[in-house]
Amino acid sequence: MKRKSGILMATLLAGSLLVTACSSSGGSDTGKAAEGGADTGKQPEMKLRILSANVGGKTPDEMKQFEAEIKRLTGIDVTIEKPASDYDQKVLTVLGSGEKYDLIELSDLGKLDQFVGQGAVTDLSDFVKGSSTLSDPKVIPTAEWDQLKDKDGKIHAVFTKFQGGTMPIVRKDWLDKLHLQEPKTLDEYYQVLKAFKEQDPDGNGKNDTYGLSTSGLYDIQGFMSAAGLKYRYVMKDGKRTIPYASDEAIPMYEWFAKLVKEGIMDPNFVTNDTGKMRNLFLTDRVGMVTYWDAWVGMFNNLRKEQDPNTTFQAEAIASAAGPDGNILMRRGDPDFWIVPQNAPHVEAAEKFLEFWNSKDGITLGSLGIKDVDYTESGGQYTLTAEGKEHNMDHGVPFWYNENVKSPFDKLPGVEAAQELVKQHATLELALPGWPDAEKIVQNYALKAMSGEMPAADAVKKMREELKSANLIDE
Amino acid sequence: MMRHANYGLNAKRMTVFDWLNALFIICLMLTMIIPFLNVISLSLSSGVASMRPDIILFPKEFSLEGYRTIWNSLDLWRPFLNSTIVTVFGTLLHVLLSSLAGYVLIHPRVPGKRLMITFILITMMIPQEAVLIPLYVVNKDFHLINTLTVLVLSGLVSGFSILLMRNFFMSIPYEISESAKIDGAGDFWIFAAIYMRLATAGLATVTLFEFVGRWNMFTAPLIFINDSSKYTLQVALKAMIIDSSTSSSNYLITTNVKMAGIMIAILPLIVIYPFVQRFFMKGIMLGATKE
Amino acid sequence: MRAIRKYGVLYAMMLPVVIYFIIYGYYPLARGLQISFQDYKLMGERPYIGFANYAAVWHDPFFWKALGNTVVIGGGILVFGFVAPLVIALSLNEVMTAWFKKTAQMLLYIPHLLSWVVIGGMWIFLLSPDTGIVNLVLHKVAGIEPIHFLAESTWARWVMILVSTWKDMGYSCILFLAAIVSINPSLYEAARMDGATRWQLVRFVTLPQLKGTMKVIILLNTLGVLRIFDQVFVLRNPSTSSHVDVLMMYTFQKGIMEMQVGVGAAASFFVLVFTLILTLAVRTLTRFDEVE
Repeated sequence: MKRKSGILMATLLAGSLLVTACSSSGGSDTGKAAEGGADTGKQPEMKLRILSANVGGKTPDEMKQFEAEIKRLTGIDVTIEKPASDYDQKVLTVLGSGEKYDLIELSDLGKLDQFVGQGAVTDLSDFVKGSSTLSDPKVIPTAEWDQLKDKDGKIHAVFTKFQGGTMPIVRKDWLDKLHLQEPKTLDEYYQVLKAFKEQDPDGNGKNDTYGLSTSGLYDIQGFMSAAGLKYRYVMKDGKRTIPYASDEAIPMYEWFAKLVKEGIMDPNFVTNDTGKMRNLFLTDRVGMVTYWDAWVGMFNNLRKEQDPNTTFQAEAIASAAGPDGNILMRRGDPDFWIVPQNAPHVEAAEKFLEFWNSKDGITLGSLGIKDVDYTESGGQYTLTAEGKEHNMDHGVPFWYNENVKSPFDKLPGVEAAQELVKQHATLELALPGWPDAEKIVQNYALKAMSGEMPAADAVKKMREELKSANLIDE
Repeated sequence: MMRHANYGLNAKRMTVFDWLNALFIICLMLTMIIPFLNVISLSLSSGVASMRPDIILFPKEFSLEGYRTIWNSLDLWRPFLNSTIVTVFGTLLHVLLSSLAGYVLIHPRVPGKRLMITFILITMMIPQEAVLIPLYVVNKDFHLINTLTVLVLSGLVSGFSILLMRNFFMSIPYEISESAKIDGAGDFWIFAAIYMRLATAGLATVTLFEFVGRWNMFTAPLIFINDSSKYTLQVALKAMIIDSSTSSSNYLITTNVKMAGIMIAILPLIVIYPFVQRFFMKGIMLGATKE
Repeated sequence: MRAIRKYGVLYAMMLPVVIYFIIYGYYPLARGLQISFQDYKLMGERPYIGFANYAAVWHDPFFWKALGNTVVIGGGILVFGFVAPLVIALSLNEVMTAWFKKTAQMLLYIPHLLSWVVIGGMWIFLLSPDTGIVNLVLHKVAGIEPIHFLAESTWARWVMILVSTWKDMGYSCILFLAAIVSINPSLYEAARMDGATRWQLVRFVTLPQLKGTMKVIILLNTLGVLRIFDQVFVLRNPSTSSHVDVLMMYTFQKGIMEMQVGVGAAASFFVLVFTLILTLAVRTLTRFDEVE
């Protein structure tokens, strides 16, 4: 008896050792491969270890093809690691554990500030100035670089793509059907939304359409613009203020409360995530949402593919005009590459950054891999089935470089939306402490909007809490 | 042979209580089944139909698009194999080691028992956040990053299983082991030949929970594996389904594909469950006590 | 040392577990503790700053709010998550028909297999004020106006407690059932011969025999009560955040979102200490260590 169980134990232990042996011989600590490159001082190794959230192939296999394509186009041996989810957690853990990467993709300026503050990123100012590609205003407009500059004017990052902005998107076909014009002032917005609710624009005989839907406070900038209120922080004479917590915001929250009371606003706006909000718009349940410029085209495209005869037409419109005629719109935080302080292959990284912002890199980042996502003959580009599915987005759906023209037209409505962004959209300022401030602002704002609390009380409480937590100066 | 703990009642009379009881359970079952039906139905619907903000219990515009998309884009065999290796080996070792430790803790007079229990309890309070980075470093020092071993070792033993096994072992009368000791048997033999054989319900329970937990394991493979060929099934599916709607992207995954991914991931668990369930229904064969 | 000779085999059986916990449990824990005393930058110098991180957490009102929320919601989950599975296990045990019992068991366990993302999304819909079935039924049956369950703070807490219980009761139920099945049938025989009714059998045989399992389940659940995260993360929204965000959300935000690793670690250790105290209390109250 004793022997039998002993044998069983031994087999299990041996089995697990086998597993260890098999997998460790196959797997390698890729960190090791990346080390030692810059130390030799001779010919810099053309190797890169990249950590990215959006760039690259959509599946592990496609990623391998992506890496091979980069090698073909630049001669650099690249490994791109793209975590399946929880990007922030992964970045933090691997960096904090001493793993070395050459390039990391980020999409949050607040995070960039934190990284810079911790001394974790390389100063790229000289590199950018000296690079003929990157300092060419046709490749990247000079003014745009301001987004990535710190308070001393130093540049610590390079764009991965062109980030657009969000704005109100409306059902143009419904406007036409109900003989309405695109709204320009807050009152006109109200009229339009009310009509959507009451006049059954999708014609299904059911009272199931809402005028407006949001996902919490995402994104009410288009309406707050009517009172001249910009989201997040605004510096006034060196003092930190949050306009959404000022007295001017009270009538705005009351406006929303009215929408909610009259059933014009989707009551689920507090619990909606952006996916739900989008789906409501796509399925004729709501006439207006606020979303990305690129999505105007996506909405139209999705419906057309489902039903080529559909009348669905999504159109971007400008935010409600403020008392002085000013229009405030949100520009999304940019997507950018940083070079960590301990990157082993800085030269290769710099070469890659230039590549990424020129024709070959842009084609790869948008259309995809030659002969996998698209084919080219005599200057004519055709998308493969796979390429169509990926919708020309491998991390670079839109780019700055004016010298590179897209072989395909933008989806319907996108061009107009991007014009609006160019004209009106500005970045939002996120000072340290914003996450805590945002919680307070959103908490009370939503209560005021849903009518749970009078707007004046909500704003007062908001300011009290923000002040006592030292998150605003005024 | 199936035995319930039915108190030896043979009459099949159903009292009022029995009917109410059954009704209560049926209502409960119905609520439990809604999410499952929802996921299946959405996975079998067409792309746009699945985006409609309703809960559906039958497929809308029946289509296998969701499954086909995943099948075509993803080579599922590798991740599936990885998951299976990690889960099978991990579970076996886990149950074995936890049972060993659980057995030690049922002896009333072992010196240091209180200390051992405290030792184990504290490991169950360790906060993930604080130890994620040190754990990564430990694994890195052992050269285990990017191997399947790290996934087997992650959670190799858990205080939960140890205490659960201890509990199941305690329902076996201690006299059995005492009489076996008198016959000259050693502790290990008593453990292997008597306790492990008798605590089938407990073993099955812990095995099931560990199997499910390991199969669904997500954080460890996410953090410790960088090489996509070592991805487990959960991670591979998530990697494909990641929805980058937080930025102005052109890429959208429709709901039916997401749901198909979820179905593929939990299918093995649903299939295995009926096999394991037998052990919850069996009674303990306590013939040995009747001596 | 006679003890080692006598119990040698037992200690040896415990050894692999001890070794594992030291390497993968206590060592990282010690390192984590070390981090909590440092100004832990991602790269470069990480100077020791004494108790500064702990002080930062102690003086942070968000931390204490989170603690309050955790106690309320976690406590609710603890209570309901104990009573409900017990009742259902006893209930299921009364069922005579084998196939019904088996099917019920399986279905009850299914929500546990699905992730919180799926379950959360589903419940958000079911509780929706305009399209959710719960409100529709309430309106039809009792004429009640739609309730924004997840947008109102008090309701939101109840939702988290109840949905959490609903999702995981299959799990605890299985534990109870497995324990019930292990009860010696001769005990029931003896009681029946004394003329006990079904209810008396449950009260005087089943429940006492389940004491051990009950203790284990309470203890195990207590260990996790301060660390709840997934259900809150999925079901929360900014409108209810002040009443619903729990401790783990605080450590997540500080540690990962704001990259203040040292502070996050310090906060985690507060949670550890609280749990230790709580567990000690439960362990003493339930006389856990006694082997009956």
